[in-house]
Amino acid sequence: MVEFSLLGKDIPRVDGQAKVTGKAIYGNDITLPGMLYGVCRYADLPAGKVLKIDTEKAMQVEGVVRIATFADIPGKPTVGVIIQDYLPIINDEVCFTGDVLAVVAATSYEAACLAADKIEVEYQAFEPVTDIHQALKPETRLIHPDKASNIVAKHHTQKGNVERGFNDSEHIIERVFNVGFQEHGYIEPESITAYIDASTGDLIITGSIQNPHRVRGMVANYLGMPQSNIDVRRAVMGGSFGGKDDTIDHLSCRAALMATLTNKPVKFTYTREQSMVESSKRHPYHMTYKVGFDQHGKIHAMKVDILADSGAYAACTPFVTWRSVVQAAGPYDIEHVRVDVKGVYTNNIFTGAMRGFGSPQIVYANESLMDEIAEYCGISPIEVRKINAIKQDGISITGQKFSNHTVSAVEVLDKAIDGAEYQAKAAHYKQLNQGTGPIKYGIGMALSYRGCSMGAEGVDTSSALVSINGDGSINISTGVCENGQGLQTTMSLIAAEVFGVPLAMVKFTEPPTSMISDGGPTVASRATVTGGNAVKHGADILKQRIFEVVSGILHVTDINDTLWQAGLIINKNQPDLNITFSEAVNKTKWAGVNLAAYGFFEQPDISWDEEKGCGSPYFTWVYACQVVELSVDTGTGKIELLGVTAAHDVGQVISKVGFEGQVAGGIAQGFGFGILEDFNIEHGEVKSENLDSYLLPTIKDIPAMNIIAVENPDVGGPFGAKSIGEPATELAAAAINNALSFAIGQRMRQLPLTLEQVVLGYNLKKPARQSELMLHSADKKHTLRLTDLSLINPTDLEHALTLLKDAKYQAISGGTDVLVQGRIRNKPQTLVNISGLAGLCDINETADTIEIGSGVNFNRIVEHPAVAEYLPLLANACHTIGSNQIRNRATFGGNIVNAAPCADSVPPAIIYDAEVELMLATEGAFKQRRLPLSEFIKGGYSTDLQAGELLTKIIIPKPNRFDLVAKYNQLGRRKALNITRLSLTCLIGVDAQGVVDYCRFVDGALFSKPQRLPAVESVFIGHQITAERVKQAENVLLDMIDSAIGGRWSAAYKQPVFINMFRNVMDEVSAELAKGVK
Amino acid sequence: MKTPIQLTINGQLQRLEVDGNTRLLDLVRNQMSLTGTKEGCGVGECGACSVIMNNEAVCSCMVLAAQCDGADITTIEGLAEDALAKELQQSFIEKGGVQCGFCTPGVLISTRVLLGKKAQPTDEEIMDALEGNLCRCTGYQPILKSIKAVICK
Repeated sequence: MVEFSLLGKDIPRVDGQAKVTGKAIYGNDITLPGMLYGVCRYADLPAGKVLKIDTEKAMQVEGVVRIATFADIPGKPTVGVIIQDYLPIINDEVCFTGDVLAVVAATSYEAACLAADKIEVEYQAFEPVTDIHQALKPETRLIHPDKASNIVAKHHTQKGNVERGFNDSEHIIERVFNVGFQEHGYIEPESITAYIDASTGDLIITGSIQNPHRVRGMVANYLGMPQSNIDVRRAVMGGSFGGKDDTIDHLSCRAALMATLTNKPVKFTYTREQSMVESSKRHPYHMTYKVGFDQHGKIHAMKVDILADSGAYAACTPFVTWRSVVQAAGPYDIEHVRVDVKGVYTNNIFTGAMRGFGSPQIVYANESLMDEIAEYCGISPIEVRKINAIKQDGISITGQKFSNHTVSAVEVLDKAIDGAEYQAKAAHYKQLNQGTGPIKYGIGMALSYRGCSMGAEGVDTSSALVSINGDGSINISTGVCENGQGLQTTMSLIAAEVFGVPLAMVKFTEPPTSMISDGGPTVASRATVTGGNAVKHGADILKQRIFEVVSGILHVTDINDTLWQAGLIINKNQPDLNITFSEAVNKTKWAGVNLAAYGFFEQPDISWDEEKGCGSPYFTWVYACQVVELSVDTGTGKIELLGVTAAHDVGQVISKVGFEGQVAGGIAQGFGFGILEDFNIEHGEVKSENLDSYLLPTIKDIPAMNIIAVENPDVGGPFGAKSIGEPATELAAAAINNALSFAIGQRMRQLPLTLEQVVLGYNLKKPARQSELMLHSADKKHTLRLTDLSLINPTDLEHALTLLKDAKYQAISGGTDVLVQGRIRNKPQTLVNISGLAGLCDINETADTIEIGSGVNFNRIVEHPAVAEYLPLLANACHTIGSNQIRNRATFGGNIVNAAPCADSVPPAIIYDAEVELMLATEGAFKQRRLPLSEFIKGGYSTDLQAGELLTKIIIPKPNRFDLVAKYNQLGRRKALNITRLSLTCLIGVDAQGVVDYCRFVDGALFSKPQRLPAVESVFIGHQITAERVKQAENVLLDMIDSAIGGRWSAAYKQPVFINMFRNVMDEVSAELAKGVK
Repeated sequence: MKTPIQLTINGQLQRLEVDGNTRLLDLVRNQMSLTGTKEGCGVGECGACSVIMNNEAVCSCMVLAAQCDGADITTIEGLAEDALAKELQQSFIEKGGVQCGFCTPGVLISTRVLLGKKAQPTDEEIMDALEGNLCRCTGYQPILKSIKAVICK
């Protein structure tokens, strides 16, 4: 194995300092003199004909400089990476709710938002086509009337004769798999600024840009300008994962248009909602897999049919689906294969590139199928993969002979299995699962291969500039870009390794498009291979030039007889003959030799016959295996990851920190894809508009990982390196599904594995009512933001109460509900800030009570010793609210007054008999009243708060018994930042004979408000807790739920699951009572 | 109607009149030009806008500037000379705690507050402090590793 000076080691990233200190400039951090703010006016419906756009009222908004519509586009109005069907500003055809009808530029952001709100549009609405099967029916309306059908693209692969293969197979199974949309979830929403450079007249575009040359090309066509007059200069990128590709192309066109129309800098920055509604998503796939195999599990034939939802536009669908047909059968040697894929237009949000690019879907389906074959044949998941895995010199399903790289499918499998101690764990979990409890354990694996770079999709060249300065320091730039993945570090390490200099000697600079030729897009996990090769090429050219100047001094004639190490160039055979790198550079410079070189990566031979569906589509491949361990609560459907082992063959690790970071981040995205990220779109309307409804994994959801690098250097890679970004993402969901099947003995064929999917076997969604869809209030805010708020800081409580007498005032405390609602609200509001007000923020302990001020935040409640001692259920419940930051602001009083059925602090407060104290200013006096919390909250979002009243205090009596078993069981979709799905709080006591003499239950998020469950309590009072009693109580509870919420959409899940939670809590209570309460 | 406030931002006393729609986030980013604090969601979910307010981490998108009368605010820029913050920052660069960097200032704010209260927190306590900071790049494990490297010193 080659010994490297720098590669494969723990090296700090080169662009880290500016990021960790907050100094790095991202798109929205850019401000320019005279800059205008741009805002898009989106469509109000997913499908329809625009009859009229009226901008008159909008133009009257003070500060508005320009509103542009379709008629203002000087160049070609359609753009697209393959099929030019996207209109950054539409003409009159609405194809999805992210379509933009007009663009506003104004002197302030608020003016631009307000003007966008005031643009009036009349439509002829169409029934949206949102189902791919429906879209393919001949009678269905064409999404784009100028196309012949709703098919965007189709591809196939063909090997052998699949029908003959099935005839020769002993067993045949056919399975259908479905996966939903996935959002990229970069934390930085899109931002683009465009301006005309006054000195040169050039159009400058900056911001969160994944592919600068693609942006330049599209803007040039859109504006009818030569590419040379457009300079794209990227800002630091806050994550992309494929998402700031198409969407940024479109936004750049709009920003460039507004900059040229106004001759001023124009900045567009999206809100999260705009980002979610407009930006492309991962394709939902409907996959039918038919496979024929023998009794040993050897596959003879596989037929795959895939339908991909392309949404409203083509974007990257032709490429994404092509990768899917090439890889759909997995890293297996199969004689007869036929794969067909169709991308289909609908009125859903458009889909495009996302890390994985057509592979997470098929890896999930195919690897689930492998486990099913193993089950069918009674062999292990390891065996079925080993029997079928493609080996060295094997022939892939497209007819490519795998001879030019190390085929390591079995090697990565073995390493992952060993690393995870799969066999021992599987046996252990099997044994644990013999128990009768609701928690089951699972372990599962997934194996994949992936073609590196873009392959036969298109031109795959790349570019780099390497320039050595007189002092020996080195500047490098590449045509591929840093999106956060660590590219600058990788490229710098490659250059430093070539020259044998410390990393600090190499400086990576982001080149503007005017200074470097198109290096191809930073996609397809290609940057290290293609850009890295270009850097190495440029560096090797310079190394040779330097060598030629100093070879005489070193007494060598062959560069291979020199060692470039630690800043020295050394004669390998006579180490005392050496010269420092900087001295050698200096000599080269004074010899008049060019110390700058242009590195280029030329695409190796690849081929694809689209007619026949075969060829050698990629020049090299990577292999990976991930093993997931999890537990699942079969009563609720909640899955918890316990560990992940990932073995990835990357050829050669360049940066160890970078490699491990890519794998860990990829696994987390795969976890989201597999379990949490349920992108909800109904009748073309996006319901998951922000990160409170579209759930990304939190730090508590992701377990420790065992990351194993497998290094089989590739002949074509820089120092043997290949790819890691996307393979890291494509396996976790598949492995999770296999582990879940192991745990529950039942197979899910739909992702994500939501709570409902696991319990019911299907995903449950709140049905959208057709009547709601067309109802768009004329004064709706198109850009959610705070408007028309004013705030008074009262001097004291009396002042606050006096102000609140006037109905125009509303109290704000922590603001975590008021401000979220305020972004949607469109009426003026005057807030009286009671946050921190003296008299509202104390926790007082008296002989009999604990009194908590309404303004006390949740972290203070959690940390208070008297609360912990006397009211542990309250402390537990408050600890689960929101996040640490939210708990530092959100208050007990606010949670109560908001009265959400899922308010977490309420059930324990009710179980402890809390009372609320309310104050009201009347003529000359302040009136107080007190009432039980259970009476104060009247229903969902409804309380007995009278006009002018303020909730000042929550008084909770200290329990007079210390022998009670206390339980707070809360169910959320993830392990933090939850909106509680269901909770059950209970307090139970027994006498010396074990007879229940104290029993309280309170629900959360089940009924319209949290409440005691007296009918259930009375089942236990005066009796011992027995299985029969619990069963009896369950029946009572079932009836209660049935009559209260039986008809609701959520009842199918909530009813059985609440009963399961109840049974589980009673088991815990019994166990604790058996042990004896302390 | 504007609200008069007086507050300390990164050690400097500021007397301002603020609009009722101005969030603490807008105040630090737009009026103070402290752009290290980022906006990711505007609804208190992602934590990219975290700042220290009166020794506690808060989402600055969920606090109105007008509510900050008398408050002591520290942003990531205000930690430039803080020895513990510097150690954390260096560790994030070395151990992979930072990738795209957009969530990083918020993550560091949450971490710094935690370590200020407790020098040797457990894993559970670290995760409690960071549960409101979403990161899409790192998969969190490198963040934990970066923090633990400082704690274990």
